[in-house]
Amino acid sequence: MPSLLEVRGVSVRFGGLMALGDVSLAVSAGEVLSIIGPNGAGKTTLFNVITGRVRPSSGAVTFDARPIHREAAFQIAQMGVVRTFQKTEVFGTLNLVEGTLAGALARGDVDPEARAREALDTVGLSAKANFRADQLSYGDQRLLEIAQALAAKPRVLLLDEPASGMNHQESAHIVRLIGELRTKGFAIVLVEHNMHVVMSISDRVIVLNYGEKIAEGRPEEVRADPRVIEAYLGVQKPDAVAQ
Amino acid sequence: MLLALLAVPLVVRDEYYLHLFVISAIFVIVAQGLNLIVGYVGQLSLAHAAFFALGAYFSALIFLKLKWSMWIGLPAAAILTGLTAFALGWVILRVRGHRFVIITVAFAEIMKLVASNWIDMTRGFMGLPGLRIPALYVPGIGSVDISSKERFYYVALAAALITFWICAKLVGSSIGRAFVLVRENEVLAESLGISAFRYCMIAFVTGAAMAGAAGSLYGHYVGFVSPDLFNFSYLTIMLIMVILGGKGTLIGPVLGAVIFTFLPELLREASHYRMVIFAAILIVAALFMPRGIIFPLVEHLVPQRWRKNNAVTP
Repeated sequence: MPSLLEVRGVSVRFGGLMALGDVSLAVSAGEVLSIIGPNGAGKTTLFNVITGRVRPSSGAVTFDARPIHREAAFQIAQMGVVRTFQKTEVFGTLNLVEGTLAGALARGDVDPEARAREALDTVGLSAKANFRADQLSYGDQRLLEIAQALAAKPRVLLLDEPASGMNHQESAHIVRLIGELRTKGFAIVLVEHNMHVVMSISDRVIVLNYGEKIAEGRPEEVRADPRVIEAYLGVQKPDAVAQ
Repeated sequence: MLLALLAVPLVVRDEYYLHLFVISAIFVIVAQGLNLIVGYVGQLSLAHAAFFALGAYFSALIFLKLKWSMWIGLPAAAILTGLTAFALGWVILRVRGHRFVIITVAFAEIMKLVASNWIDMTRGFMGLPGLRIPALYVPGIGSVDISSKERFYYVALAAALITFWICAKLVGSSIGRAFVLVRENEVLAESLGISAFRYCMIAFVTGAAMAGAAGSLYGHYVGFVSPDLFNFSYLTIMLIMVILGGKGTLIGPVLGAVIFTFLPELLREASHYRMVIFAAILIVAALFMPRGIIFPLVEHLVPQRWRKNNAVTP
């Protein structure tokens, strides 16, 4: 199957700092690709490049075989590549419907409110539709972020640590939700620190360290990769590799 | 409500109070325009008094140099001011926060310098006198002289009502929803496909055009245009009208414009203490009604079930 979203040889330099070095990835519809790596490895920068918030110093990003790395952030979103944020971003003073309809409004949908309600229903927040976004619990705000993205009718969904700060039950709900979205045919790119979440739903995993891709493969392959263990633990332990 | 507004000249016979009603109607237009920018897309523009003055100058020059009446001058002033805002916005709406604020101040100062120093065109500080209010042609009746205060009041009122109608339509449309989304979280709105630049531009140009139209009305009504219109005191009072009236609401800036036109005058009894008292009232209002007088008003006077659940209700 041809890839829906492709990142080819992307590098990002901030002055002398190499935030991303020659990173490539591809994700297809109905696939969950996870990006893991220690803090500062360049995961969020990669999301910023894909969604047009940071221009790559070199390399290309294509969506549906069209280059998108020179487009503005809002245009990329309208095309169908939509993200959530590591630090929760909601429209605090608006109620859930008023905020969630943003993506549908941007695409010129005839009934943005209906799209918003559908999206809230998908993530399980329809009972709280009349709440203000800032009245929600943290976990619900993370779900609201996904609803906001879904109302924009994306084909590629980029989720930046959707399960961070969640308890076991809430992260189990996120895992189910992402599984459902995969079945519906979304291409999903997931940045996540919760290894339980990553290992249980990813089709493939990419590991970044200091802005470079050090491993890629199925979850169990990546987990056993000595370079990955070194990146996470700082030292290479032969017995850890064996496990 | 409309009847009460229409009856004002019948009830108020005092020329001076009638004058204040005309001025409030004009400032209702200005405040609503500023509210689109400050209240709806949330950009603090300090160029609004300059747009008001520009509109007055455009209309005055059209009248004096081209001999075209206010009926052409007013829409022309609105369009030219809107185009000026578009050109300015094209550059400055790419920056935000204090950088945006500072550039709007710089623009206002440059415009003031142009008006003060382009003597051939504007006569500098001598200003442009001799503006007149044109007759209004009414089908079936012929031309009607509208230069008296009670008649001009209806012109200003009509303009204020049209402005209110435009703002209400805009705010209720998908454009208005996008305004609020950009104001509430610009980064998020953009990541969901909304162009902050585009919607800030729509608000900026529309708001400036309203200021330009109001400036044209003001110039013809007062009969004289001078660089004093660019003074910071005009800008201050406009911001007070919008912010203490209740920014981001439709009715707040309207109330603000009326209240803050009349309040300094009603304090005249206190003679030279009046500006001190006015300042004290402003400070108290800013401290205790930070979201504007409209919110306490709504909370105390309007029953819960009448309140529309919208973006700005607490």
